[in-house]
Amino acid sequence: MSQESKSLGKTLVDLPANITRSVLRNPWPSSDRGRAATSFTNFFLHIQPVRVSRQALRPTYTLGLGLISFFLFVILTVTGVLLMFYYVPATAQAYDRMLDLRSSVAFGIILRNMHRWAAHGMVACVFLHMCRVFLTGAYKPPREFNWVIGVVLFLLTLFSSFTGYLLPWDQLAFWAITVGTSIAGYAPFVGKAIKFILLGDVTVGQEALLRFYVLHVVVLPLILVIFVAVHFWRIRKDGGLAKPEPIKPAAHPPVQIEIEETLAPVAAHSSVVVAAPARRFTIQGLVRGPLVKVGKLEEDTVFSWPTLLIAEMFVLLLTIVGVLAVSFYFNAPLEQPVNVMHPPNPAKAPWYFLGLQEQVSYSAFWGGIGVPGIELLLLLLVPYIDRGKEGVGRWFARQRLLANSVFLLFVIVNIGLIVIGTFFRGANWQFVSPF
Amino acid sequence: MGAAAKTSDPGDPQIPRRRFLAWFSGVGIAGTALAGLFSTFAFLKPRTTYGQPNRFRIGRPEDFPSGARIAIDPKRVCIVREGNRVAAISTTCTHLGCIVAPSATGFQCPCHGSRFDVDGNVTGGPAPKALAWFQVSLTPDGELEVDKDNEIQMGTYLNV
Repeated sequence: MSQESKSLGKTLVDLPANITRSVLRNPWPSSDRGRAATSFTNFFLHIQPVRVSRQALRPTYTLGLGLISFFLFVILTVTGVLLMFYYVPATAQAYDRMLDLRSSVAFGIILRNMHRWAAHGMVACVFLHMCRVFLTGAYKPPREFNWVIGVVLFLLTLFSSFTGYLLPWDQLAFWAITVGTSIAGYAPFVGKAIKFILLGDVTVGQEALLRFYVLHVVVLPLILVIFVAVHFWRIRKDGGLAKPEPIKPAAHPPVQIEIEETLAPVAAHSSVVVAAPARRFTIQGLVRGPLVKVGKLEEDTVFSWPTLLIAEMFVLLLTIVGVLAVSFYFNAPLEQPVNVMHPPNPAKAPWYFLGLQEQVSYSAFWGGIGVPGIELLLLLLVPYIDRGKEGVGRWFARQRLLANSVFLLFVIVNIGLIVIGTFFRGANWQFVSPF
Repeated sequence: MGAAAKTSDPGDPQIPRRRFLAWFSGVGIAGTALAGLFSTFAFLKPRTTYGQPNRFRIGRPEDFPSGARIAIDPKRVCIVREGNRVAAISTTCTHLGCIVAPSATGFQCPCHGSRFDVDGNVTGGPAPKALAWFQVSLTPDGELEVDKDNEIQMGTYLNV
């Protein structure tokens, strides 16, 4: 009797601790082993390595751009899902729903602002992230394919933003999409069919609005998530962020052993006799590649828990604060409702396509399809064309002067075209001075 | 050891069966994916559209006095009448699909500055070809009907 009540009391007393342990699996880490286990055994943290190089944590190296892009995507997902509760993808209602967001939905304005500015921010950050990766030579082997995935992610970001542009169904939206889809119509052979399938009709109308809505809220985000997952996974599998080649060998060079295809125990088939590593996280190295470092840990690394986690949380906070601040002071544009009869003069595409539109004003095919197509192909093939091995993991490495100069020229020309299209083009696309 | 030797034995009837299954499944899945892709595109390409009809009436010939150049923006045509000849010229810019507006010298596009003469020939800007002319006909009850599915040669008028 007393035995039973005692055990019941103990069960109750231990209840919170037992629940906590069952959820978190590990106590709050106080040792290296605990810190490793925390990263290792938590679903959300195991995406990250147990230890991360200091290089990857240096804000001046990465500028946090990839992470900011990801967090912006998270913000876009959350605000986007919330906006879906009030939006109707019908030409007769869409614009009114925009007005309702302003007038009769609690926090409607700020949510729409956040969604709009985070979308612009994501386009910018993904592009700047690409510039960072290029200028630090971080696409070199073994990271070639992750660069390709990154370029695809950039395109998906642009397309997501573009499909979202139509949804408010205002003049800006309608004419930007009219111009944008006409550019697609210039693609050789399949252009007309692509445009027809995209719009579901010969002109932008109800069918196009519904199709863009489905693409924007389901199809593209789904594809984007898959590519983001592979992108992150490849960072791990390719050995973390790119590091510069060591200037001088470490005092205690890590022992390298060769292991054949079969992942046998460490001692087998090795030319050097090595004691099996004491810590589990070093064993993780065995699953990757034929050459594995065992024994001494790499010098310049720190535990992900808590160092990396804190850095990431800080970037998340910065991103949220940034988006909120901009959304607080600037309202997302909303022009007059669609008037099919009266194109605004000039009719302009979203800013990130204004470089394209500027090119299109010279030649529809070459400006809209030819030149961008060649640029895209070059971008995808960059890691397979530039096979130099030097200058990895440093900004503006001297050995990469040529590659960096060519890339910067492309960037400057394209930004220049966007600036011209945005500020120097007035009615009938005539040259005007903004000053 | 014994197991390893067994699986690499070429005489083992299990191997051809397994290989057959692998090929069968692989080709089957690839074929299904291909068929699925094709039918998805077929599904997405609309057979009927819900937009405006491409054949429509625009009124009686008397509504368009001689010398009139009246743009009907919702229909994206400009009705031209000279004497007793009537024609319908497209007001969809051949560049990127904006609506061109009649101007003193012909037509002008607000999007990228393409310019056309009174007949729709390109006189400036990035437009790659002239504006289309559509067939105009008289219905039995005396109304003008434009058929945008029927492009005709520039300069072909209907006598009314």
